[in-house]
Amino acid sequence: MHVPDGFLSPAITLPAWGAAAPLWYWSVRRNFGASATEALPVVGSLTALAFVVQGLVVPVPGGTSAHLAGVAILSILYNPGVAFVCESLVLLLQALFFGAGGFTVLGVNALAMGFLGPGAAWLAYRALRGISERGAAFAGAYVGMQVATLAVALALGLQHRLSPAYMPVPFEVTAVAMMAPSLTVLGIVEGFYTLATVSLLRRARLLGAG
Amino acid sequence: MQPRNLLPLAVAVAWLAFPAAAHEATAEVTRDRSVAVRARTHDGDGLGNAVAEVFSPADPATPFWKGRTDRNGWVAFVPDAPGRWRVQVVDPTGHGVVATVDVPAPGAAGPGPASPPPASTGASLARPVVGVTLVAAIFGLLHAWGRRSRR
Repeated sequence: MHVPDGFLSPAITLPAWGAAAPLWYWSVRRNFGASATEALPVVGSLTALAFVVQGLVVPVPGGTSAHLAGVAILSILYNPGVAFVCESLVLLLQALFFGAGGFTVLGVNALAMGFLGPGAAWLAYRALRGISERGAAFAGAYVGMQVATLAVALALGLQHRLSPAYMPVPFEVTAVAMMAPSLTVLGIVEGFYTLATVSLLRRARLLGAG
Repeated sequence: MQPRNLLPLAVAVAWLAFPAAAHEATAEVTRDRSVAVRARTHDGDGLGNAVAEVFSPADPATPFWKGRTDRNGWVAFVPDAPGRWRVQVVDPTGHGVVATVDVPAPGAAGPGPASPPPASTGASLARPVVGVTLVAAIFGLLHAWGRRSRR
């Protein structure tokens, strides 16, 4: 889902870095201080799990493939700030060691997949958990996946509008190609994955979890 | 028919032959001038039928060639100038790659060896293992540092 290096110009990547940097600072200070020490093993395990599920390719109709995000869990169990930092770490490691994504586009990818997606998941979960805890976890993950995917599609579409030399595919094509599998396959798989993991971890009464 | 009557006919036939030459096309087959680049997904499959553009070092802003990869993810082009060429492949979902190809000047030493073959199954299995190890190490260090600071 995330954008590779070379497909977004500095006109998009620099403002994204500018927006992401203070959010990283604030999220780290608020969520990873000394008081959060006891929660770190579980947060680290969920981050490692997110790294793994983002490497698992899900075939989707049309001959292409996509992957889960796996960070809505962190947003639901803790808060969107934790999810933002952990997803950013996953993206950074993927860029530095595996050539996936990239350093210049890290701000865009982190904002889309680590902030907007998990943020939307958290809001949907909060709005619906009074009705059904399990339904809210599923719906939160589903909504989060759609928001993250749409944000990436919008960034690519904006780049096409600014300069097609970086992104030759127009937004109309990108949006359909990305949202169709997200709405029909990925969102549902992400929802069930999040529901199962949150249900399991709720029983464990995690330290630091909300 | 008188010979002098044949002259205008001969001129007319000769005149018609000129525009016919403009529609003529010939084929030239070479096997040593093209550059082929293959775009792959991280699991090694070719990125087939994706939008592809090739940019010349002489004009990096305007595509020298535009088209799509073949079903196996290959793009092939014939460079007409030495320097660093850029090949960009992207599918509609934003997956893609930007590759650079150094084309030597005529008479210079030939291009270096091709890029290494794609990651093997072992390497793709190593990716999650290495990733999990890195994440565990980072959070393990944070945890240890946090416990030490609280003492």
